[in-house]
Amino acid sequence: MSRAGSDAGQRAARLLRWYPAVWRDRYGDEFAELLMADIQERPRSTARTLDIARGGIVARLADLGLAGFPVPGATGVDRHRQVRASLGTLGAALAVCLTFGAAMQSQLTIAWEWSTAVAPSAADPDPPFIPAVAGFATRVTSAAMLAILVLAIAATIPVIVTVAVRLVTGAGRRLALPAAVLAAAVAVLFTGGRQFENGWVGTGGHDGLIPGGVAAFEWATSLWVSAYWAHPGALAAFPLAERAWMVVTPFALGAVALAAATVVRRAGLTARVLAFEARLGTAACVVMAVLLAGVACWVATGGEGAPLFRPGLIDVAATGALALALAAAVKARATAIRGLRPGRG
Amino acid sequence: MPKQEGGRPDGDAALAGFGRYAGPATLILSSLADGPKHGYALTKDVEEFAGVRLAPGTLYEALARLESQGLIQAIETDDRRRPYRLTAAGATALKAHLDAQRRVTEVGLRRLSVNWAAGGGVA
Repeated sequence: MSRAGSDAGQRAARLLRWYPAVWRDRYGDEFAELLMADIQERPRSTARTLDIARGGIVARLADLGLAGFPVPGATGVDRHRQVRASLGTLGAALAVCLTFGAAMQSQLTIAWEWSTAVAPSAADPDPPFIPAVAGFATRVTSAAMLAILVLAIAATIPVIVTVAVRLVTGAGRRLALPAAVLAAAVAVLFTGGRQFENGWVGTGGHDGLIPGGVAAFEWATSLWVSAYWAHPGALAAFPLAERAWMVVTPFALGAVALAAATVVRRAGLTARVLAFEARLGTAACVVMAVLLAGVACWVATGGEGAPLFRPGLIDVAATGALALALAAAVKARATAIRGLRPGRG
Repeated sequence: MPKQEGGRPDGDAALAGFGRYAGPATLILSSLADGPKHGYALTKDVEEFAGVRLAPGTLYEALARLESQGLIQAIETDDRRRPYRLTAAGATALKAHLDAQRRVTEVGLRRLSVNWAAGGGVA
């Protein structure tokens, strides 16, 4: 091969890295040939590079189940590949929603438990109170979080059964590592949450809308969602163990989300299970929208003058994260539903 | 999306579902109506008859969509430059789409000839 051809080949190989592995397996050789011919014809082209970058990103989104078309597979065995990817992405979005939803709901619960619906009196002219919108938001988020939890458990059961069967029968070699990572990350979250929930600040307040133990666990696992990261001086006053837990938690949650998505993609779920999961995904999107509406109402009204219910910038950021998670979940759910239609692929 | 018997997408609806990629898809199908071609030959043919140069990323994005919809089919070959051919479903979809485009073209040209032939506007 001439030097020019060698250079073109190297540049084509670099450009090809924009695309995911499954796409490169299917189209890599022919795309590289086209690129080399195009590069030799037009050595420099910013428009070509941008076009390839865009195409690669779209292909990666399709591989995650967030775009509308799958990379053509060889046979019907791959027909549900994108459906599994979509459901894995939906599960990860749900995990993000649970994380930030727990942070905001625990904050509302703490404020609720230390507030009473008592009118001002001479003895206490400025008692804590539960504002109308914040009170509504607390009820809505509590109900939504409970519903998401139930849906998450219902979605997990058939996956756990499938994975267990494959591991026991020796057909789940590719599942062993992600399943182990998932189990370890869940164990870290559960152990740490149980350890640090003893420091929950809601203890001693009035009864909340959810059991105190649940609220305390939510609070402990969402400690890291905090504005204290922007105030290192104040953060330094926290016990070292608590600071370490705040650092570890997001990594453990991330590991749960990624490992769970990987397990869903590799588990070889049957069409029936995929359809069941897709239906649960539809319900989850509805509940996530309700949760977002609840917290958005609270953040938008700014606590209505009640200091305990005043939202901070971290709550605004968390609301944004919830909105992004919902958008991703809706898109992934739509892609999964489309992939399950008869005659697809 | 409306479906014909056997679950294939209906004619023009197949390409309408491509959204912003309907243009490249139409050009690719029109090129393949003349016989199988690989990516570079497709690019050159489209550039010759339509005056449009399809960028590599856009070309293969459209090829992937068309292939996943069953409108084109890859031909296995020892050559790294894999050619594609039009399928029967692809030919049906292309014809329906072009028929719809022709109706729009005829209406537009007729109205222009009636109202704009003398250089004036609509009365």
